[in-house]
Amino acid sequence: MLTALKGGRVYDPANGVDGEVRDIYLQDGRIVAAPRDGRPADVNYDLTGCVVMAGAIDLHTHIGGGKVNIARSMLPEDHARDLVDGHRHPHAGCGHAAPATRTAGYRYAEMGYVACFEPAMLATNARQAHMEMADTPMVDKGAYVLLGNDDFLLGALRDGRSPGFIRDYVAWTLKAAQALAIKVVNPGGINAFKYNQRQLDLDEQNAAYGVTPRRILTALASAVGELGLAHPLHIHGCNLGVPGNVETTLATIGALEGLRGHLTHIQFHSYGTEGDRKFSSGAARIAEAVNANPNVSVDVGQIMFGRTVTESGDSMRQYAGSAFADPKKWVGMDIECDAGCGVVPFRYRNKNFVNALQWAIGLELFLQVNDPWRIFLTTDHPNGAPFTSYPHLIRLLMDKSFRNDMLATLDPDAAAATILASLDREYSLYEIAIMTRAAPARSLGLEGFGSLGLGARAHVTVYREDENREKMFATPAYVFKDGQLIVRDGRVLEEIHGATHAVHPDYDGAIERELDEYFTRYMTVRKDNQRVADDEIRDGGRGALVLHPVKPA
Amino acid sequence: MQLAARKDAGFDVTRNGCRRAQRGFARAPLAPIPRVEGREASFASAVSHAARLLRAARQPHFAGLGTDVDGMRAAIDLAERCGASLDHAHGETLAAMNRVLQTRGWYATTLAEVRNRADHIVLIGVDLEQRYENLVSRCLRPAASLESARLEGRRITALGPRPAPAAAQPAEHLRCAQDDLVGVLHALLGLLKGAAPDVRRIGSLPLTRLAALAEALRAARYATLVFAPGALAAPREPALTLLCELIDELNRGGRAALLPLGGDDGAQTAQSTCAWLTGYPLRLRVGTRLDYQPEALSTAHVFAKGGADALLWIDAFGTLGAPPAGASGARSVMLGAAAPDADCEVFIPVGTPGLDHAAQLLRTDAVVSLPLAAQRDSGLPSVATVLRALLAEMR
Repeated sequence: MLTALKGGRVYDPANGVDGEVRDIYLQDGRIVAAPRDGRPADVNYDLTGCVVMAGAIDLHTHIGGGKVNIARSMLPEDHARDLVDGHRHPHAGCGHAAPATRTAGYRYAEMGYVACFEPAMLATNARQAHMEMADTPMVDKGAYVLLGNDDFLLGALRDGRSPGFIRDYVAWTLKAAQALAIKVVNPGGINAFKYNQRQLDLDEQNAAYGVTPRRILTALASAVGELGLAHPLHIHGCNLGVPGNVETTLATIGALEGLRGHLTHIQFHSYGTEGDRKFSSGAARIAEAVNANPNVSVDVGQIMFGRTVTESGDSMRQYAGSAFADPKKWVGMDIECDAGCGVVPFRYRNKNFVNALQWAIGLELFLQVNDPWRIFLTTDHPNGAPFTSYPHLIRLLMDKSFRNDMLATLDPDAAAATILASLDREYSLYEIAIMTRAAPARSLGLEGFGSLGLGARAHVTVYREDENREKMFATPAYVFKDGQLIVRDGRVLEEIHGATHAVHPDYDGAIERELDEYFTRYMTVRKDNQRVADDEIRDGGRGALVLHPVKPA
Repeated sequence: MQLAARKDAGFDVTRNGCRRAQRGFARAPLAPIPRVEGREASFASAVSHAARLLRAARQPHFAGLGTDVDGMRAAIDLAERCGASLDHAHGETLAAMNRVLQTRGWYATTLAEVRNRADHIVLIGVDLEQRYENLVSRCLRPAASLESARLEGRRITALGPRPAPAAAQPAEHLRCAQDDLVGVLHALLGLLKGAAPDVRRIGSLPLTRLAALAEALRAARYATLVFAPGALAAPREPALTLLCELIDELNRGGRAALLPLGGDDGAQTAQSTCAWLTGYPLRLRVGTRLDYQPEALSTAHVFAKGGADALLWIDAFGTLGAPPAGASGARSVMLGAAAPDADCEVFIPVGTPGLDHAAQLLRTDAVVSLPLAAQRDSGLPSVATVLRALLAEMR
């Protein structure tokens, strides 16, 4: 079937198309050229007055895995405020901070997203994370597997094992967990917390292993680079949320020494200690460093005011943050000599100095990092805010007067402490298309995504042009996935199931033997039971496994 | 685990099993022949009878829920179709844990952490020999640990009516009645907070021994409190809350965590799968709208007062026995791996996950899930297969 999308204004940065009125043709799940013989399309859409972009990609959103499920189970009161009935969606569910898997999938599709990536999958919990993602309909998905707090890696670094050995272990873990990339969370710090260390700075030693976060970071960033993964090491640095952590973050960028790295939810890592409250914005310095270091990309982790829940592998920092739980409950865990987690409900308030300044710091980062190819639009769902706030965030970025109106509602001391009012930048639609489509597709190595070029996957989102960008981005007129119309006027038409994206880099089989012994001797499952089989992902045909090539150095 | 096939198509567990595993694997499969109103029936006619039964019900209730992830997925989809409520056989325990989770939360740990990190393990009112015998060799006294010094110096304390199992010895025993646990835990918390109760003993337990335990826990580098929520006397919340508070207190200056043992008979699997698919843990009604009512939707309550008039009972492990007596007046469909212990209108034999079909199950710590392979070809359908056939019939 040939589908013609006619007369829309097209923003396709992957191909340098900036707002030209163009016709786009879809056939057999791909973008194709206009028929040369003048053959009419089977279906025509008149997109006059519409904006056309590739399907959006969220490269950092906590959609599946143990900590997400703890949050769901913990927050019935949050669900009750956002129940979704079975007339609205193919299945009943609930949304907001810790949505049902199905509701999350429907709502992502309804915002024009076609792929979502869980950024903190534990290898020991990979099977569950994938089962949850299998039950997240509509979107393609994938996950980054956590390393850097597991006793195996820390032991290997302590023992001075070779870079080749580390690389083999990283490759084995990617394949066993069916992951697309490697994530490190508070390198060494989660493990250190198990030994009662309450903080761990970049050059402090994890007491049990005598290994520093810097060593862990460089070992993993090197291994990821040598394995030739598209996505660089995904880094949740030390000292999340700690005033003054701007210094740690700058040092972390320095520690990469030119190796590629993606610093995630960098808003939470951009705090100074100036002013009466000893809490200030470090955004300008971070932005300057990002601008100066082309090896670095970031996503923001913007906060929005309201209730949410923070879910993190960073048990050390979540323990500290649990003092601010709202409502007063939280769960922490030490997990399987692998990692940990902390789930802390939270309410960001615009009249609270710190929260208001966090909001401003996120926006300062967006507006001061120059290259939209290296900064991605995230709220670290749900840690800064639920993903459903993206349209509001886009309006904040695109509409200075709206932004300043919001700024005027903040705690006055916070408003006085931010340079936000002086930042005139307004994102263009082209830049929004970069940061939500073309750039994440490139960063993750997702061939055919984030592009409307010939041969690309026919993932297309069509918005009705509206000066109110929040309204425009909240309810796309049409969303096509692989050429199929899945959303019309912001409503899911039919439930579909997306594929799972992963990499299986090669490794020396010797690592298998060593891991066999390690699991048998020390763990409570065998190595082969930790491994998630390809067929589990394919799930009897409901799922699909897309393996992306790696380009070893 | 290593298995050896027997002539009756059951298995002997030759390595790594426990008594429960031996019982479960030894069971010969049922003949794959459903029964409707006591008479043998084809699969198709049993399914269509069951569908009619559920369609005619005003308020169906799905219980037992002893099944794997895929079975639970199918149960939720069918419940949505029928507007049914859902409760697991261990729903009381799950509900008690959920109330504590939803009001205060906790700090927990997992099996491999305990095996490798713990230097002081306190077994609180839990009889490992009865239900969790392999925990001793896997976690409490394993052959090796990443922290060999901690393993060698590991202190084990049993607090409750029974001493630690022989294989866990040497272990100290602070004997107290199960009914005294709340008082004992309360006193222990007081001791840790420097507010010792003004008594000589709690039940039969001298306060001095408890004071020594408090001191030891303070000195521990990784203290672990092991308990089984299901083994606590109801109402469970007072003890559960105290356990959480003890850990919070210990974590102020040192490190400690809870290890809850439970999730038996697919309870953790049912709970977790339900939570991701709907957002809510058990118990809830699934229909056009979700209706989370963790107290009112207990199996006992819905049949006594809640107006439920049909039961779908799921017992793929063959471990649950008969449904609660209160449900006996309702029309019922049972899916079981063992012959039913109660009258039912429709009985459909099903396979057991990891025996008759491949499956995924979640472990007690709600972190690790296990892939199970089929061990034999019994011709028995999985719960998911039966429920999806039912759903198709109802459309």
